[in-house]
Amino acid sequence: MNRIVIRLGIFLLALIASPAILVEASSHMQEPDTIRTVLLGAEPDYPPYCLLDENGKPVGFAVDLFRAAAEAVHLNVKVKLGPWVSLKKDLAEGAIEALPIVGRTPEREVLYDFTIPYIQLHGAIFVRRDNQDIHSLADLKNKEILVMKGDVADEFVRRERISDRIYTTTTFDEAFTKLAAGEGDAVITQRIIGLKIMERLNLQTVVPLKAPLPEFRQEFCFAVQKGNEALLAQLNEGLSIVMANGTYKAIHQKWFGPAFQEHFTKADLLKVVLWIFVPLLVVLSLLWIVLLRKEVGKRTRHLNEEIIEHKKTWRVLQEQQSRLKESEEQIRLLLNSTAEGIYGTDTRGNCTFINQSALKALGYEDRSQVIGRNMHKLIHHTKTDGSYYETAACDIRRAFSSGTGIHNEDDVFWRADGSCFPTEFFSYPIHKNEEIVGLVVTFWDITERKRSERELLALKANLEIEVAQRTAELEEKVQKLDKSQRALLYMVEDLNQVSKEVNEERRKLELSNKELDAFTYSVSHDLRAPLRAINGYSDFLLEDYADKLDDEGKRFLRVIQNNASKMDRLITDMLNLSRISRAEMRMSKVDMGKVAKSIFQELASRKEQEQFVLEISAMPEIACDYSLIKQVWQNLIGNALKYSEKSGVKKIEIGSWEEGGEQVFFIRDYGAGFNPKYQDKLFGVFQRLHTEKEFKGTGVGLAIVQRIVSRHGGQVWAKSELQEGATFYFSLNGA
Amino acid sequence: MENLNEVEILIVEDNPLDAEMALRALKKNKLTNKVLVVGDGEEALDFVFARGKFDERSRQSRPKIILLDLKLPKIDGLDVLKEIKSHPETKVIPVIMLTSSKEESDLVKSYQLGVNSYIVKPVDFDKFVDAIREIGFYWLLLNQQKR
Repeated sequence: MNRIVIRLGIFLLALIASPAILVEASSHMQEPDTIRTVLLGAEPDYPPYCLLDENGKPVGFAVDLFRAAAEAVHLNVKVKLGPWVSLKKDLAEGAIEALPIVGRTPEREVLYDFTIPYIQLHGAIFVRRDNQDIHSLADLKNKEILVMKGDVADEFVRRERISDRIYTTTTFDEAFTKLAAGEGDAVITQRIIGLKIMERLNLQTVVPLKAPLPEFRQEFCFAVQKGNEALLAQLNEGLSIVMANGTYKAIHQKWFGPAFQEHFTKADLLKVVLWIFVPLLVVLSLLWIVLLRKEVGKRTRHLNEEIIEHKKTWRVLQEQQSRLKESEEQIRLLLNSTAEGIYGTDTRGNCTFINQSALKALGYEDRSQVIGRNMHKLIHHTKTDGSYYETAACDIRRAFSSGTGIHNEDDVFWRADGSCFPTEFFSYPIHKNEEIVGLVVTFWDITERKRSERELLALKANLEIEVAQRTAELEEKVQKLDKSQRALLYMVEDLNQVSKEVNEERRKLELSNKELDAFTYSVSHDLRAPLRAINGYSDFLLEDYADKLDDEGKRFLRVIQNNASKMDRLITDMLNLSRISRAEMRMSKVDMGKVAKSIFQELASRKEQEQFVLEISAMPEIACDYSLIKQVWQNLIGNALKYSEKSGVKKIEIGSWEEGGEQVFFIRDYGAGFNPKYQDKLFGVFQRLHTEKEFKGTGVGLAIVQRIVSRHGGQVWAKSELQEGATFYFSLNGA
Repeated sequence: MENLNEVEILIVEDNPLDAEMALRALKKNKLTNKVLVVGDGEEALDFVFARGKFDERSRQSRPKIILLDLKLPKIDGLDVLKEIKSHPETKVIPVIMLTSSKEESDLVKSYQLGVNSYIVKPVDFDKFVDAIREIGFYWLLLNQQKR
């Protein structure tokens, strides 16, 4: 029994002494040539982790442990004091290098890197002693909760949505003072810290709830700036050393466990052991065993409860983790499936994430080639014009100072292989708790767009040239057109002049036509009167003086009468010819065969109708002036009859054929014919190829035929040999 | 020609030879009615309407027929015709146009104005006599009851 007690004492003594020895040893360790100094941020009022001793020196469990760990890896520590909120910001921005006690939470992992945890603390709910209705975390719903701004509890209550009414304070002291003064319903923070503060401020009215907060259990670590892997490694190494060599235990005991301060002498000890302690010990042991049993039972129950509770928490945690993984996976998929390149940087411009499109565009194969690298130096180091691009002037980083999104579509990014491409990017600051903690950059390779822009510009330039050319051509054409228009105007003027003249001529012509009419009228009227008188009075002479005239005298009178009659015929024919030239044409469809036949019957005497063979072949209807065409047939058929008078063959053939869109009519007889030598004279007025004695006539008939046909737009011609008959043709185009 | 009221045939002809031939033609046809020849249109109208030198004549006595030349001095034959045919008292008198020409417009106008017949004076006297005979018989003998 004694041996046990002695061993126990020795063990206890060793436990007390060893940290001192170790500290002594480590402080005497040889320092390396260059000693780096780490700038540590610490709070003055976070007992027992960070506080000030009576000399104003920063001490506390965390500060001391950090110093010890730093010392173990030959680092000097310089402490910068400040409130928690500003220290967090300082670390994120690199104003300090490390913080001694930072709860590791998902929110913070984005901003900082953490060492291995060195302490695990449980949270507690602090309420006023007179509180009646708050017994667990669930009772806090709708209560006013006070937390220190930026504390793990602050993040915890917001993350878990414990209540909608969360009030933050700058310090823990403020939170507890306010609670004690009746403001708010509860303070949530680490149990140990709360107790220390209550003790320091001597707050009697505030108590922690006994109910544990398994959801709010926090591992605490040293934190360094994100990406500062060198320092992180050193601190991890230092922590391992102090944990292994007992320094940790010593510091822990210094700040948390009351140390055994008793000093025993061996004799005293023996006496006490023998006389007081042994019997007492026996009694106590017995008692203790009973108590222990009870306690074990209780503890076992408690442990079982805790195990159940832990399992529950574990499940919750696992669920949360899987959800987190799921949403992370979704975000990752989303990022990688977008065509835009997306990457994020921390406040120093170092890459924190990058999607697949961005990697591909920048020519990298793996994220590890980019993560943690300074993106400006990696892809944005040179300007479009080839000049060096200062980090300070970086347009992407401008989002930090402006606090809003930056858009640029005239910049270049550089690929891993040293080539570059034109890019358009958006740079947005990432806000966290009203602070900017990094940037998200979205970018596109706009090589194609630039190229099409250039092509478009070239095209535009070409177009402008072409437009200018076309305009010039058009102007030239317009000028030419102007000229020709003027020429046309002159022509129109000329035409007007000509038409005026023509009108004048026509007026004159009409006038002379009228004169001609008057002339014709007077000819027909006045020339005939003397003829009538000659004829009539010759008749009177023959009747009244027949007995006084001999035969010769009578013959003379008859010659006079004949010539007067002939003169009358001439006048009639001439008037007729003149009328034909002036008469208005009235066009209608005329059956030529029918007309020819009726004219023949009209002109031929009964004897002739018996003698003559008339052959009329089928002829088409033709558009012409009926009364005029009738005169054509009258003259032609009349001639055929007249000139066949002395012929042995009495036959008339009439017919037609089509030729070149015109209809040609013919009439053939087998009479006297004519000498083709005089063919030209055939259709002249008063032209005769036979004497009056041979065949009677005035020489006007064929002239009439020609005028009528020519007024119809046709032609007349004839073929003949003397004594072999004649064929007369005329063409009409009014089919 | 003492009693103008007995005139049955009025010949309006400026050419005395034509007038003589007309008279001869009437005579040859045994149309022995009282004939008066006037030389121009004015005289013709004066006679018809009993005015001027014919104002003593009774307007009640009208000629049975008027042979009217187309072409006349002073007042033209067509105007004379028009005047006669536009008065209710005189329009019943048959008027026969005698003309040298076959001018269509003269013919159309004459018929429009109400002419009763139209004779083209032929050169051949015999034919003229034939024409007068036909016209005379019709208007003087067959149409007498109009009086």
